[in-house]
Amino acid sequence: MKHLSLRFFFLVWVGMVSSCTTPATYSAPGTVRIRWARDPENLDPLVVSNTSAYEVINLTHCSLLMGREEAHDFVPWLAEAFPSVERLSDSLLLVSYRIRPEATWDNGAPVLAQDVALTLKVMNCPGLPTEMDQAMFGFIRDIRLDTADSRRFTLVCAGQSPEHIRSSGDFSILPEYILDPGRQLRTVSLTAMRQQPVQAAVQALARRYQRLRLARHPENLPGCGPYRLSAWQSGRYLTLHRKPKWWADVLSAPPAQLQAYPTTLTYQVIPDAATATLALRRNEVDIYGLMPAAEFTRLQQSAEDRKRLAFYTADSYEFLTAGFNVRRPVFQDAATRKALCFLFDVPALIKATQQGAAIPSAGLISPRVADYYNDSLPLPVFSPTQTVGLLRQAGWQRQADGRWQRKVAKGAPQVLRFGVSYRAGEPAFETAALQFRAAAAAIGIEAELRPTEQAVLSRQLQAGETDMCIRNYSGNPFSYDFTALLHSRGIGASNTMQFSSAVTDRLIEQITSTEDKQKKKLLLRKFQRVMAQEVPFSVLYFQKYRVGASRAVGRVPVSGLKPGYEAARIRPMEAPL
Amino acid sequence: MKRPFRTVQRGLAISWLSLLIVAALLAPSTVPTPDLATINQPPFHSTHWLGTTSQGLDVGMSLWQGARTLLLVSVPAALCTLLLGGFLGGIAGYWGNTGLRITRTQLVLMVAGVGLAGLLLSWFPGAGGWPWLGVPAAAGLGLLPWRNKKPSTNTWPFPVDSSILALIALVNSVPLLVLVVAVASIQRPSLAGVVALLSLTCWPTPARLMRAATLQSRSQPYIEAAQAAGLPAVRILWRHISPNALPVLLVRFPLTVAVLISLETTLSFLGVGLPPETPSWGRLLAAVRQAPANWWLMLWPGLAIAFTILSLQYIATSKEGE
Repeated sequence: MKHLSLRFFFLVWVGMVSSCTTPATYSAPGTVRIRWARDPENLDPLVVSNTSAYEVINLTHCSLLMGREEAHDFVPWLAEAFPSVERLSDSLLLVSYRIRPEATWDNGAPVLAQDVALTLKVMNCPGLPTEMDQAMFGFIRDIRLDTADSRRFTLVCAGQSPEHIRSSGDFSILPEYILDPGRQLRTVSLTAMRQQPVQAAVQALARRYQRLRLARHPENLPGCGPYRLSAWQSGRYLTLHRKPKWWADVLSAPPAQLQAYPTTLTYQVIPDAATATLALRRNEVDIYGLMPAAEFTRLQQSAEDRKRLAFYTADSYEFLTAGFNVRRPVFQDAATRKALCFLFDVPALIKATQQGAAIPSAGLISPRVADYYNDSLPLPVFSPTQTVGLLRQAGWQRQADGRWQRKVAKGAPQVLRFGVSYRAGEPAFETAALQFRAAAAAIGIEAELRPTEQAVLSRQLQAGETDMCIRNYSGNPFSYDFTALLHSRGIGASNTMQFSSAVTDRLIEQITSTEDKQKKKLLLRKFQRVMAQEVPFSVLYFQKYRVGASRAVGRVPVSGLKPGYEAARIRPMEAPL
Repeated sequence: MKRPFRTVQRGLAISWLSLLIVAALLAPSTVPTPDLATINQPPFHSTHWLGTTSQGLDVGMSLWQGARTLLLVSVPAALCTLLLGGFLGGIAGYWGNTGLRITRTQLVLMVAGVGLAGLLLSWFPGAGGWPWLGVPAAAGLGLLPWRNKKPSTNTWPFPVDSSILALIALVNSVPLLVLVVAVASIQRPSLAGVVALLSLTCWPTPARLMRAATLQSRSQPYIEAAQAAGLPAVRILWRHISPNALPVLLVRFPLTVAVLISLETTLSFLGVGLPPETPSWGRLLAAVRQAPANWWLMLWPGLAIAFTILSLQYIATSKEGE
């Protein structure tokens, strides 16, 4: 009996030891493991809430056009070619597309114009979360289907902005056979979707869409992209499997946007940067995108790591800003905002947080885009003396206790005191905030640092509850539509600075409506000059994307657009090193 | 053989804690300025003797000022914890489930106070912690030991002991660290906020100790005599029970401070609780996550935390031994 129990305990011990050993640090052939800092949280194509969700949606669904950095423009994706355009009267634009004949859904049915029509109806369906789509694609007023060709259709767009031509193809196309199997919506026009009372067919569509519970179960609505979701543990990992027969496989020489090589893409959520670096070094992930500069440099300098890892950088269109809520009384005048911008020591911040690898900018267009960047504007400089001078010009007086006050027409005098919000756990933001606070405190300005959790910060920004916010914005080299960010129409949505002026509104509209490159160049330069005077935010620098990758996955195509790499175009090596 | 060793240990512990207190008292009150020109400097290579962080903060200065933050958080929080826990444990042990009888008016006042606090919280979520005061205020008002000339016969026994034990079980049902981190991450970072948070979450242990000590004292003949003489409950608790029960709490004080120091450094390590500009040992320790090769960011604050907690634990256990 004694021997039996000893053997039993020995077996238990062996079992426990074997279960505690280091997990296998290799992946199956064709698999690419990618580190994510955040969980996608919501995979409903109507509600793309963060970069991770955007990445998954772009791998599981296709849109008509896709923005590509190499092309410096949008390129046809599900569309056969770039759309033809016709201007109707002074205010309408007809954008005609034809869908690729090879494009099919998972059930083998072709992707047709009716699918695009249904997608637009979903984007206008009452009872669904369509706010974002309304803001971005509200200019699409109608769709006209070609009776002779089931793949051809024309979008009727309000306004004649060239930006609308590109934007008109930038939404995921959803399958009609799942969302409207009875084809009841075919008789309902796009304009009738929002009419009251809501039609029974429209209500049925909303109910059907909600029943799919796409936020957590995107597999209920498979798109026509190359991958399908096979597993998702919130906050831990997400796995996508390549469709064995994807429609673009029949193309003999598929363009870059229709290439998809890895058989499995496994995304591992590792919020902490140091843990993610360790995972990369231990071969537990293959790709670490948006790597912090210090970690990237440290690994690059290590001979051992250089043997197993490859390092890539790409100049991005993402920039760090310090934005002001211009509705706050202390920030209502441009002079005060401008004065505070002199308290950021941008060269030192670039050196400290980006290891010197970032580009300071005078405006919100990257200095790399030489045609549009206004190089006559001065770069931001660190000068508390200028801050003091400008504050005095703005009516602020330093009191005996060191604080700044100014008299207002009614009520008690204003005190120059405000909060600086930023996303908690982001070292670059925190360093900028600490440096700013120290510089402000040295001249008597009270700035309270408020590191805030991402979801709470987003809500506060939308509600206009922040004072000053340090955050990133992403841009691209092919669209210069600042409507959402800085137009008065964007207030309450993406215009978190609550900024608006008649001059900038007009300029934004002119920029989006002009096709003449020379005129656009002049307008964009003028816009940057006006922004430098108004200062709703100060651009600190444009950063680089850094990607660390295992050599086992071969060459990683990198990009200046988020997430900094093209996962579908990675060709995992047959025999890993 | 053991006695000289113990004396050395005791001397070291007291010396370290004295050094810590003196350093905290003499620490400059200005917020440290990050020097971005000298980031990640190793120790003994420049004017920054203990090195710098990746944000350009001097490690030595941060340790020095962090000592003051440590005391400003842990000592008031420990006092509040012991006071709150002592009070609740005392009344639970003294009154038990039948000792306190309340009238209908008092019951209505208590329920109304709790309801009002709830309503205030739901109507004015931005009002901070003020509505919470309504709960103890209402409860206190209801339980005021009014001197009724004619004791009412229409009273019910209020289960003080069961209520407080249930509250202890409720707080203990969530792991302390999880509870503290969860609450700290939703409140605005501030020193006072951390003190309040730690006080409100760490009181169950002293409460249990105080309850046990009170239960022991309550059965003594002199307490029964005081009750028979008609002395008010508050006076019996304050004059006759607490002198015997308080030493139990006082012995607990260094251990409570040690626990609170661990919690404060954990919160700072996770970047919640204290404002980011406030120097803290935990925050200093967290800086190593941004620069894992910078061993000095782990060594100095790690040693300081270890010495402090070991010293406090040694003093607490030696007191218990005495």
